[in-house]
Amino acid sequence: MMPDIGREARRKKRVPVIGLILFGTLVVAALLQAFQPGWQWVSFAVGVPAITAVGVSIDSPRRHGRSSRRRGSGLSGHSRDDDGPAATGRWRVLAIVSRLMPRAAGRRWLAEAESLLPDIAPARRGAAIRSYLLSAPRLVVIMWAHQAQRRRRPGPRRPR
Amino acid sequence: MPMRLTVQVQLVLQALLRDPAKEMYGLELSEETGLQPGTAYPILLRLENEGWIDSRWEDIDPRLEKRPARRYYRLTAGGAVQASAALAAARRPKGTALRRLAEGGGTA
Repeated sequence: MMPDIGREARRKKRVPVIGLILFGTLVVAALLQAFQPGWQWVSFAVGVPAITAVGVSIDSPRRHGRSSRRRGSGLSGHSRDDDGPAATGRWRVLAIVSRLMPRAAGRRWLAEAESLLPDIAPARRGAAIRSYLLSAPRLVVIMWAHQAQRRRRPGPRRPR
Repeated sequence: MPMRLTVQVQLVLQALLRDPAKEMYGLELSEETGLQPGTAYPILLRLENEGWIDSRWEDIDPRLEKRPARRYYRLTAGGAVQASAALAAARRPKGTALRRLAEGGGTA
């Protein structure tokens, strides 16, 4: 009988992602503490569900159906078939991480990743996805800081 | 706040400055610079926030082209001037510092 190594492998892959999200959450909370006191809850409101989602997905059974591969990621799904299960998992994480970003910015980030990755050779695609995931915590901070800056800047729509 | 010109930022700017009128998408930039696309993206975002570059989604029908639309980046007119100046300044400091050291040594 084959040993169930899938769950252990998935757990090993999720741990750094959870670490990254946790780190990102704490950095965003620290930045909010400095620049927007009273708004720290936002980072935890986003970070804790994300960590939970990634953590819970370790135990969820892996689905191989076409519909499950497409679900929720916003990714078109084409050219991922030859990526193997590891890369497919990373695609999913990419979609989850995009939800930590402000909505429009997260969508753009994911759409841009989606537009590039099919053009990359399958052998190099995993590294490219990893690079997106590694830069994600910093991006989350940059995007939320930019968002906060834009909100704080008095604009023409602001009521007197 | 002035733009921090790391080596990666310089690589991206150099790639864009090779033909300032040309639009490039993430993968082209990534291949030109040797950076991973995920590394280049935050740089492009920062440059765009600073107004040095602008970007647009490619206007195609993904179903007809059988690929997703790409996001193209190009230096703005002001951005090209600023990028050239910043790259020149980034190359200068070592020489300036040495010259200052030499001048200081000469007068002492």
